[in-house]
Amino acid sequence: MIGGSPWTRRLLATVGVLALVFLTVPIVIVIPMSFSSAKSLTFPPPGFSLRWYETLFGNPRWMEAMWTSTVVAVISSIVALVLGALAAYGLRRGSFKGRDWAEGNFMAPLIVPTIIAAIALYLGLAKIGLLGSFVGLVVAHTILNVPLVMMVMGVAIREFDQRIEQVAWSLGASWSYTVRKVMLPNLAPSVFAAWVFAFIGSFDEVIVTSFIAGKYETVPKKMFNELILEVNPTITAVATLLIVLTVLALAAVVMILGRAGKLKPTLV
Amino acid sequence: MSDIRLEGVSKRYGTVAAADNVDLNVTQGEFVTILGPSGSGKTTLLSLIAGLNKPTAGKIFIGGRDVTDAPAQQRNIGLVFQSYALFPHMTVLENVMFPLGVRKITGEAARTQSLEALKLVRLEGLHDRRPSQLSGGQQQRVALARAVVFKPDILLLDEPLGALDRKLREELQVELKQLQRTLGVTTLLVTHDQEEALSLSDRIMVLNHGQTQQVAAPTEAYLKPANRFVAEFLGIANFIGIDGGRTGLVRPERVKLSPAGMNGGTPAKVVEAIYLGQMVRYHLELDGGAAPMVAAVPFVGRAFTAGEKVSVSWDATDLWPVA
Repeated sequence: MIGGSPWTRRLLATVGVLALVFLTVPIVIVIPMSFSSAKSLTFPPPGFSLRWYETLFGNPRWMEAMWTSTVVAVISSIVALVLGALAAYGLRRGSFKGRDWAEGNFMAPLIVPTIIAAIALYLGLAKIGLLGSFVGLVVAHTILNVPLVMMVMGVAIREFDQRIEQVAWSLGASWSYTVRKVMLPNLAPSVFAAWVFAFIGSFDEVIVTSFIAGKYETVPKKMFNELILEVNPTITAVATLLIVLTVLALAAVVMILGRAGKLKPTLV
Repeated sequence: MSDIRLEGVSKRYGTVAAADNVDLNVTQGEFVTILGPSGSGKTTLLSLIAGLNKPTAGKIFIGGRDVTDAPAQQRNIGLVFQSYALFPHMTVLENVMFPLGVRKITGEAARTQSLEALKLVRLEGLHDRRPSQLSGGQQQRVALARAVVFKPDILLLDEPLGALDRKLREELQVELKQLQRTLGVTTLLVTHDQEEALSLSDRIMVLNHGQTQQVAAPTEAYLKPANRFVAEFLGIANFIGIDGGRTGLVRPERVKLSPAGMNGGTPAKVVEAIYLGQMVRYHLELDGGAAPMVAAVPFVGRAFTAGEKVSVSWDATDLWPVA
């Protein structure tokens, strides 16, 4: 990358900048549109107003979707955090037969196309009678977000000197005491990052949710449905809120991991 | 305070034996070193005794109690690693108080006991620092204090001085020996450094490919090695053909040099003379095509120089037959 002739470097830079523009322009356009005074989606906006935010917060169905999204994201991210962290611990510290197979199994939701995961979850949840239920929704989001937690926690655990744990055991500390008093205080930044990724992962999820949520509407699912029915500027207000949430959460992760000196290229 | 006993301990990984039918007795208060090259299985052996790993065969006793299946938590051992393995988020004092907290000793009693342990390792006035603010030597003292503060039955040290520079290492060797004697704690140290093994231990166990080569006092292992491997691993070895096709060992310090033609002896040429402070080490080429020899002679006044002709001899009692 660093090498090469000035021409290839210039070309690389151009392509990079164009890709960045391509990715950020929709975001940059959506935000001013949400503050537009126009009745329909127009750009540039003819004037400034908060009417779409008023519509959004005044609409009980949007509020309900937000509540559903928040509750599902909170529960599923915490469950995914606990399960994913334990799985990462077992995979990084254990040496048992079929470890690679187990890791592949846990990581699968991240690797297989989401639509395949959606169909699998649809059939699986239908079989156990949880299709269209709130519990089913939480279970699905948990399964989808475990790989994210495992990736972040796996790196953190691998980089934590195992001998520190072993010394704690030799000094008489039980496994759970060691996890609470030795591991967690040192891995806290990564735990926080993993939780944020799982939370955002759940809050943003639309494909699987559309398949299995039944009457429950999450924010992205409602956005998708609204777009099909009518193009309403309310959606730009929702989008702006989602962008702000994501950017703030990621900024918090970068800040905390950066302070702990744990910011690795693999995480960003 | 306890003794350690290993009976036929083996640890296999597939077809590789990291420990192969090892027997060992460490008596109460003794300082024993497990010495071997990397990959000899010495660290595996220590992890088996610490309870971090389970043997595939054999039994381990600490203080007469069979601990073969007991987890590390129930063995009451002090463990020190080369990497210090201090808890990074705790202060020096919190690190040392950790094993006491686990044992429900808290408050003023824990504090007093921990400060005493820190005094014992000569690390005072730094107890509010974090490990990252300490030098390597200081960190290792904290690790030692943490390992002895709760009066463990045995002390296990895994290359504890390996990460330190030479001068500090020698300093800490003396202190470690003193600490061990003061506490009278049964100690097992693992190292690949033969000098460390020779200077610290009551007895040395030499290990290679997971198998015991010899268990003996340092002087005995050095001068009367059980085999060629021990002879070569513990220091420079001169092998000399003796009658009956057998081989004998003479250590460089036992080789005598005199000016050519004096005292009989074998004529030889000095290939290299290396001045080491108290000693001069000579690399010698013997007349008649015998294997080259090394002699280490105290430096008094004048040394032989490279190319000089000398006469080499040794006492028959300094010749030790090896297989």
